[in-house]
Amino acid sequence: MRPNFFQHIHPPTIPAEQTRWRYTLGAGGTAIFLILVLAVSGALEMFYYIPSTGEAALSVQTISFLVPFGGLVRNLHFWAAQLLLIVSAVHLIRVVFTGSYALQRRFNYLLGLALFILVILLDFTGYVLRWDTGIQWALIVGTNLVKTIPWIGNSLYKALVGGAYPGSATLVRFYSWHVFGLMLLAAILMIWHVFRVRRDGGIAVPPPKQRDDIVRISRKELVRVEVVAMLLSGSALLLLSAYFPAPIAPGITEITALSGAASAPWFFIWVQQMLKWGDPFFWGVLVPLIVLTILGLIPFIFPKPASQDLGRWFPPSNRLAQIALVVIALVITALTLVELRPVQ
Amino acid sequence: MTNRFLLIASAILLTAIGLTWWLQSRQVQPVAITPSLTDQIEYCLTCHADLTEISPSHPVETYGCVLCHGGERLALDANLAHSSMRGGNNQSDLSVVEQSCGGSNCHSGESAEGQDHIQRVMTSIQSTYAGAIANVRYTYGAQTDLTPLFGSVAVNDTSLPSQTGILHLEAFAISSENNQFLQTFGENCLTCHLNSTGVEDSLSTRFTGCSACHSPAGESRAGEIHTLTTAMPYTQCNTCHNRGNYDLRTMTFVERSDEAVTRLESYYQPIGQFTQCEYSLDCVDCHTRTEAMGDGDIHANQKDIEYVQCKTCHGTLTELPLTMTLTDPEDIAFRLAQLNPLMDLQVGDTILVTEQGEPLWNTRLLPDGNYELIGKATKQLFIFRPVMGSACTQDGLEQSSAYCHECHAVEH
Amino acid sequence: MNLFSRRDFLKLAGQGFLVASGFFGLGIFTRFLGYQAEPTPPIEFDLGLATDYPVGSRTNLPEIPAVLVRSETGFSALSLACTHLGCTLEQEDNIFSCPCHGSHFDEHGMVLRGPAKKGLVMLRVEQNDQGHVILYAAS
Repeated sequence: MRPNFFQHIHPPTIPAEQTRWRYTLGAGGTAIFLILVLAVSGALEMFYYIPSTGEAALSVQTISFLVPFGGLVRNLHFWAAQLLLIVSAVHLIRVVFTGSYALQRRFNYLLGLALFILVILLDFTGYVLRWDTGIQWALIVGTNLVKTIPWIGNSLYKALVGGAYPGSATLVRFYSWHVFGLMLLAAILMIWHVFRVRRDGGIAVPPPKQRDDIVRISRKELVRVEVVAMLLSGSALLLLSAYFPAPIAPGITEITALSGAASAPWFFIWVQQMLKWGDPFFWGVLVPLIVLTILGLIPFIFPKPASQDLGRWFPPSNRLAQIALVVIALVITALTLVELRPVQ
Repeated sequence: MTNRFLLIASAILLTAIGLTWWLQSRQVQPVAITPSLTDQIEYCLTCHADLTEISPSHPVETYGCVLCHGGERLALDANLAHSSMRGGNNQSDLSVVEQSCGGSNCHSGESAEGQDHIQRVMTSIQSTYAGAIANVRYTYGAQTDLTPLFGSVAVNDTSLPSQTGILHLEAFAISSENNQFLQTFGENCLTCHLNSTGVEDSLSTRFTGCSACHSPAGESRAGEIHTLTTAMPYTQCNTCHNRGNYDLRTMTFVERSDEAVTRLESYYQPIGQFTQCEYSLDCVDCHTRTEAMGDGDIHANQKDIEYVQCKTCHGTLTELPLTMTLTDPEDIAFRLAQLNPLMDLQVGDTILVTEQGEPLWNTRLLPDGNYELIGKATKQLFIFRPVMGSACTQDGLEQSSAYCHECHAVEH
Repeated sequence: MNLFSRRDFLKLAGQGFLVASGFFGLGIFTRFLGYQAEPTPPIEFDLGLATDYPVGSRTNLPEIPAVLVRSETGFSALSLACTHLGCTLEQEDNIFSCPCHGSHFDEHGMVLRGPAKKGLVMLRVEQNDQGHVILYAAS
C-alpha cells in the first residue's frame, strides 16, 4: 500500500525521545493545532464579519453578543491567535536552546522564522479588522512607519493602505491579506516546514550510535500522544474563551487623532517604547529588522552544536547562540515592561 | 499509559464543551426594538426595560434610545454599550446637545417655526451667567464697564442680527484672572448656570443643559431621573434660585438656613414680599419660554430678558390684559397645550398673550369677563378678574412688582 | 466467552466522550450558522385611499407583486408570484401567464396550465382608520 501524506509524516516508528514533553514541550505540534483552530474559527467568523468601515465594528459586536456561540467563536479565534504567538516563540527558543537548527535543519529553521513573521503579520492584520477605537495605534502608527522607509516607503504605503490615509480601501486590503494572502503563504510554508522535519530526520536527537535512549514508539502511539495534546489544548482554549472575552471597543466613526490611551498591540509594545527614543525609521523599522536578522543568522554565525549534544537542553557546544537569544528575549521583555509601567 | 491520558483528556474536553453550552444558555435574552425614526435595531432594553418612558412626546417605539443618547446599539456588555454615550448620563449637556436634541427636525431648527431652542439656550443668560461675571469683574476692576466679555463657557451668537451687539463670549478661566477675589469667585461661585451640576451632594444638584430644568427630580433625589416635562415645579427652579446669598467680601455663597414648613416658606427666602400668585403658582406659570431660554442674543443682564409683570395677566386700571383668539389649529398654543393637557383648548378660545406675543396657553377668557388659569405643575384652577373696573387704587405709571406688593403682598 | 474487560469499558467511555463532544460541537456549529442578522422585511403595503380604486377595478401592483381587486363586496388581492418557482406573472386580457416556464392562471388565480400545480395565493387586505387600503404580503 502506498503511504499517504499523513502516514508519511507519521512514520511506522520513531524514537521515543522525540515525543517527550520535557524535550520539545510539544510547542511545534501545539502551534499546528492552534493554526487549525484559527482556520476553523476564522472561517466561521467570515459568515458574519463585514469588511466595510461603516459596518465592521458593528458586525464584530453582532458576533460577540447576538450570534449564538458567536462570542465563543470570536474568543477562540482571539486566544488561539495570541497563544500561537507565544507558542511559536517558545518553539523558536526551544529550537535554539537545543541546537536543533544546525546542519541539514538550517533551511527549516529559516522556514520557521518566515512562518513566525507571517504569524505576527496575521495577528496584526486580524487586530486591525476590528476597526474600533482600540486599534487606532496599530492602524495609524503602523502604516505611517511604512512611510518612513527610504525610497520605497511611499509606494509601499500606497500599496498597503490603498489611499492617502487609512480608510475603507485599507480595511478591504487588510481583510484580503488576513483571510487569503497571508493565510495561503502560511499554509504553504507550514506544510513545507512539517515536510522538512521529516526529511531532515525527524525532531533532532543524537544519531543512533550516539543515542542513550533507544526506545521507539509506534505510529499509533504517536497519534495518541498528539490527540491527547490536542484535547488538552482544546479544553484549555475553550475555558479561556468561556471566561475571558476578546477585547472590543466602539467602532471608529472617523479616522482622527489618537486618544491619549492609544496603545500598541501587546506584541508591539516593545516597539512603542523604542519609538519614544528618536527617529521612527531607525527605532520602528530598522531595529526590529536587525533583531530578525540576528535570529536568522544564528545557524550561520555561531558555533554549531555537536551531534552527540542533540536531543537535550542547553548543550555546551552552542552556548553563544543561546546567550544571544536570551539577551534578545530579555531586552524585548524589559522594553515591554517599561512601557507598561504606570505613569508616575 | 497513553490510553489513560486519552480517557482523561476526552473527559476534560467534554466537560469544557459542556461548560460552554451551559454558559451560553445562561446568557441574557436580548430584547430588541427598531425605532421608526432610525430603522436600526437596538438592544438597550435588554437591561433597561423597566425604565419609565421619558415623555409622551418621545415614545421609545419612535425614538429608541440611541438617537438621543448615543451608545453602542448592538452591545450587550454594559461597558461597551455605554462607552460612546454622549454626555455620560446626560445627553442634553450643552457640549453635546446639538447631536442629541438638535437637528432641523428637532430642537435646533428655524426660529420662525419656534424650533430654535438650542441656539437660544446656549446664548441665554441662565447658561452664560455673563451678567454676574461682568458685574463681579467690573466691581474688582478687571474690566472698565459692564459689557460682558466672559461666560461660563465660550459661546458665539449664531442667530444674527443681534440686538445687543454682543457676538461672542470667552470662557471665564480662573487662571486668566490676576485678582485674587476673582479667582475665589471662580472657585466658589460658578455653580448656578446650565453648564454646572451645582454643589455636589447638596439640594442644588441638578443635571446640566436642557435637563437642568426639563428633568426635575422627583420626591427623592436618589435614583435615575428619566423624565422630560414642561411642567416644572418651583422646586426645580430652586436648585439655583432662592438658595441663599452671595457675600462679596468673603466671596462665598451663604446657603439659606431657614426651616421651611409652608409652600411660601420653602419657595422663597424669608427676605422678601410676595403676592399669592408668586407662591401659589409655579415659576413656569408666569415666566415665559423666551425669558427662561433666551431670545437668541447674548445679554448682559437678566433685566434685559425678563419682561413679564403683574399687568401682563391682570392689566391696568385703563387697559385690559392683552389677549388673542385662537383661530389657527396649527397655532403653537395648541402644541404647548397638548404637551401638558390641563384645559381643553379649542379653536375660538381667547387666551392671554404677553407683550412680546408669547401665548399663555394655560389661561382662558371666560364669558363673564373674568379669566381662568390652571397651574402647569399644580393643576390648580384660579379664576381672577382684571384690574380694570376693580377697587384697585394703583398709579397707572407704576407697574413694578414692589409697587403692587405694597397692598397685595401676603404679609399685608 | 466474550469478556468485556475494564480496559474495553474505559476505551468505550473515552470514545463516548469524544463522540459526545463531537455532537456538542456540531450543535455549536449549527446554532452559530442559524442566526439571522437582518430583521424581517416589512410585509405591509399602504396602497393609498380606498376611493382611488373604483368598484369593479383590478389594479396591477408589480412591486409586491399582486393584483388588487375591488368588487361590490369589497377589496381582495391575489399574489402575482407564480406558485411554481416564484417568477412574477404577466397579464394578457384575463389570463396571468408566467414568462419563466409557461404556467397560466385565470382571473381568480386557478391553474389553467402547468407546470404550476397550486392556485395563486390570496392576500389579506384591510382598510385602516384613515380610509387607506393596507395589503399584507405573504411572509
